[in-house]
Amino acid sequence: MKEDLASFSVDYASKLGADYVDARLENHYNELITVADGKIQRGIINRKRGIGIRTLVNGAWGFQSTTDLTKKGIRQTAEIAFKMAKASSKHVHTPVKLAPTKAYKTSYKAKVKVDLENVAFEDKLKQIVAWEKKLHTSRKIVRGVVEYAGMKINKIFVNSEGANIRFSNSLTWASLKADSKKGATTQFYEKTIGHSGGYELFQKNDVEKMSLEIGRKAESLLEAKAAKTEKDTTVILDNDYIALLVHEIVGHPSEGDRVLGREAAWAGTTWWSGKIGEKIGSDNFTAYDDPTVPGTLGYYLYDDEGVKAERKVLIEKGVLKGHMHSRETASIFGVKPNAGMRAITFEYIPLIRMSNTFFGEGDWKKEELIEETKHGYLISCMRHPSIDDKRYNWTISAQEAYEIKNGELTTHLRDVALTSIAPKFFKSINAATKKIEILPLPGCGKGDPMQALYVGNGGPYIRGVATLLGGR
Amino acid sequence: MTSFLPILKEAGETILKITEKRGLDEAEAYLVSNKVLTIRLVNNAVFESKGVHDVGVGLRVIKGNMLGFSSTADLSKKSLEGLVDAAVSTAKARKLPFKYSFPKPKTIPKVAGVYDKKLVTLPSEKAVELAYDMVGSSLAHNKKIKDNAGVLNIVNFETLVLNTNGVSAKNTGTFFEASLSATAKSSGNISEGSDATAGRSLKELTPKHVGEKAAEMAVSGLKSRKLKEGTYTVILDYEPTQGVLGYITMLVSPMIARLYFPLFLDKIGKKVASSQITMFDDPLMPNGVGSEPMDDEGTPSKKQVIIDKGVLKGFVYDSFYAAIEKKKTTGNAVRASFATGVSSFPGKNYNGEPIPVTRNPYFKPGKWKREEILEETKQGLLVRRFHYTRLTNPTRGDFTSVLRMGLYTVKNGEIAGAVAKSRLLDNLLSMLQKVDAVSNKLVVAGSWGNYCHTPMIRTKAHVAPID
Repeated sequence: MKEDLASFSVDYASKLGADYVDARLENHYNELITVADGKIQRGIINRKRGIGIRTLVNGAWGFQSTTDLTKKGIRQTAEIAFKMAKASSKHVHTPVKLAPTKAYKTSYKAKVKVDLENVAFEDKLKQIVAWEKKLHTSRKIVRGVVEYAGMKINKIFVNSEGANIRFSNSLTWASLKADSKKGATTQFYEKTIGHSGGYELFQKNDVEKMSLEIGRKAESLLEAKAAKTEKDTTVILDNDYIALLVHEIVGHPSEGDRVLGREAAWAGTTWWSGKIGEKIGSDNFTAYDDPTVPGTLGYYLYDDEGVKAERKVLIEKGVLKGHMHSRETASIFGVKPNAGMRAITFEYIPLIRMSNTFFGEGDWKKEELIEETKHGYLISCMRHPSIDDKRYNWTISAQEAYEIKNGELTTHLRDVALTSIAPKFFKSINAATKKIEILPLPGCGKGDPMQALYVGNGGPYIRGVATLLGGR
Repeated sequence: MTSFLPILKEAGETILKITEKRGLDEAEAYLVSNKVLTIRLVNNAVFESKGVHDVGVGLRVIKGNMLGFSSTADLSKKSLEGLVDAAVSTAKARKLPFKYSFPKPKTIPKVAGVYDKKLVTLPSEKAVELAYDMVGSSLAHNKKIKDNAGVLNIVNFETLVLNTNGVSAKNTGTFFEASLSATAKSSGNISEGSDATAGRSLKELTPKHVGEKAAEMAVSGLKSRKLKEGTYTVILDYEPTQGVLGYITMLVSPMIARLYFPLFLDKIGKKVASSQITMFDDPLMPNGVGSEPMDDEGTPSKKQVIIDKGVLKGFVYDSFYAAIEKKKTTGNAVRASFATGVSSFPGKNYNGEPIPVTRNPYFKPGKWKREEILEETKQGLLVRRFHYTRLTNPTRGDFTSVLRMGLYTVKNGEIAGAVAKSRLLDNLLSMLQKVDAVSNKLVVAGSWGNYCHTPMIRTKAHVAPID
């Protein structure tokens, strides 16, 4: 990529009179493969490169992107970005202020062992067809689906304060699902693996074995007992279920723009707005957002505003400590910016997004958690969320559960969901395991127009209290 | 405004020449110029004005019984050579177990009211003013309105499909969506309201009306009562009915049904809704929010019945899914990307292979006037807004939505008061089968990029309060 084009756009927009300018010059490579029931439904290679220019004029934001990387195209794009900011500034009540940050000049790369483009597409297709085949463990499996995605992103971030950051990333993941049927009963089981890195993901993991396990799970759910509603019962949540829970009721409400009511017209607001420093959960409840964990889907060291990434403490021993910020929201809250801004491509203006959001560890072993539970349920693997607009009332379904009686796993249950109120649940957390795991969540939506982004979520196994909902 | 069609045509012809030289059996270039202008409103102010101009091409190739796809945003000769290489590499190992060929040329009909030059040439300053009018009118409507957030999206696109079977079809269109959420506060109570509209021409954009309606809903909810959990007769206003319709559009896509939502897979020819429900897909509707003369493969648009008096008549097809099921395309090829990390703006997208989905779907209007549905409801709920709607079990149809705002009790044919935030928890099939009234007018309704023409319906559903 021609780095001088990014600097050129920033210089040009600055000369037009913008108070601040940044530009992201990016090159994307994506491949997608979907296989269902032995048939390749999609096999795609996309390439896209272009530039997005963001301007701040009289305290208002303007942004324009283009795929035309000629100097003429970039001048026109910068002019539109400038004009739009100027037009917006007529209806700005509180001019945007940016919290200060150092202008970094650096270059870094995600660790990749096997470059995606060094594995023939043909070989990937064959391999994915083989994974899908393994999902069909018996005739009870009526449908199998495998979706694979691989991407390479090279970006250069330049701003009018002198920052110049190059980042080369690669992301790979695959989701596998088996639908099972017996009589009128239908069930399904699914799993996703993924990382920041190359195709070595599928050399490190035995995906065919994973497929077999998924198929067998989907079959076993046909024989499992339908769960019955039980109010306020003890639940042990596994890493996989925790991943979606922390995403929905800790991650989203921690987004600084959401706390300020800026997402009210879309996903909603946050119940803990204005509660920094307050105790909202038990001493066993700690949560972080940390983009610096190598190998995770949420990995980066500098965000799309050029701010150096660090571990953000969101909740510490039950006390609400902080949020995820842009330079602008950090200035409003009077805190240091903490690198929360990301956009999926140069075509979008960055937004405050989760990176890797997870619950902090405890000092229990998984076995001990179960052994010391007289009556309760082990809730396993995320399914679907439905959360209210303040992230207060939540309902999240699980793929399966086991009833715990006197410290032992007993009846296998299906059609399970949990529901509770966020602070009530946070206060009920009474144990967490020492071992934590960050899982891939490649489909977090936010913004208008919508940006579907990849993040990491997870934590330890956690024990608390929630209402178990049976199927409808 | 300069048309990009000549640039697209030149690139398309270059691609077809390269594919011919490589000895490929068939090729199809889908070329796009898509512009989106977005004005985002936050905390009673303009938060950002942003734009994207995306130009690029998606290429499909057939060699023997192998099919491949690739796309690029770089239309230089060198990049187009690389595009063909990539498409060929994706075709290797993708052997189709059936005969497949790209569509043949056919006469494309005309559809009125889908392109408006005034939307294309609207200066961004004017767009900012129109967007802000939503906030202004909401604040002016009532002193209790304290906060507003919303969006105005304006889209214009030009597309060209060229294939080696002789299809050469261009398509131009414009579209806008405007939505606002208003928050009212009074003596410690907080209530939200919202309204949204979409259309194809500038004259349909009525920002002041959107602002007033959002404000009106917000104020009407200030004094609300908590609901008792139970099964209620529910009148779904236009927007929630669109929410239900939106899920059916996914259930009747053979691709989405196979991959994600299999609920209707075994139900063709069966009763999936009450006899009050008839559903069409009609992209030829003049001025329709989803209307276009042709689909994204250059197949002419046509009107079709999806559900006839409650009976599921069939799915919608593009040429590929039609070939899988040995059927004919119904002209429902749509290029959309729902891949994570890949851009997917309103308007046209060249990043993905076509997928079969409805294009301008709607429930056929019934016999009831809107007021009559209310008047004839002895006891029930009026639901004016869905939020976070999910098919939580896509094999069984478990369906939920947060009734975040615009929820009222109906008693003896009248609105008897607002109800605090609640959750609808039911089953989509069961709700469809219990529809006993459909209103007689179509209105454009929706949210967050999804809009349809829709009547309102009455059904029964389980609703619980949210603490």
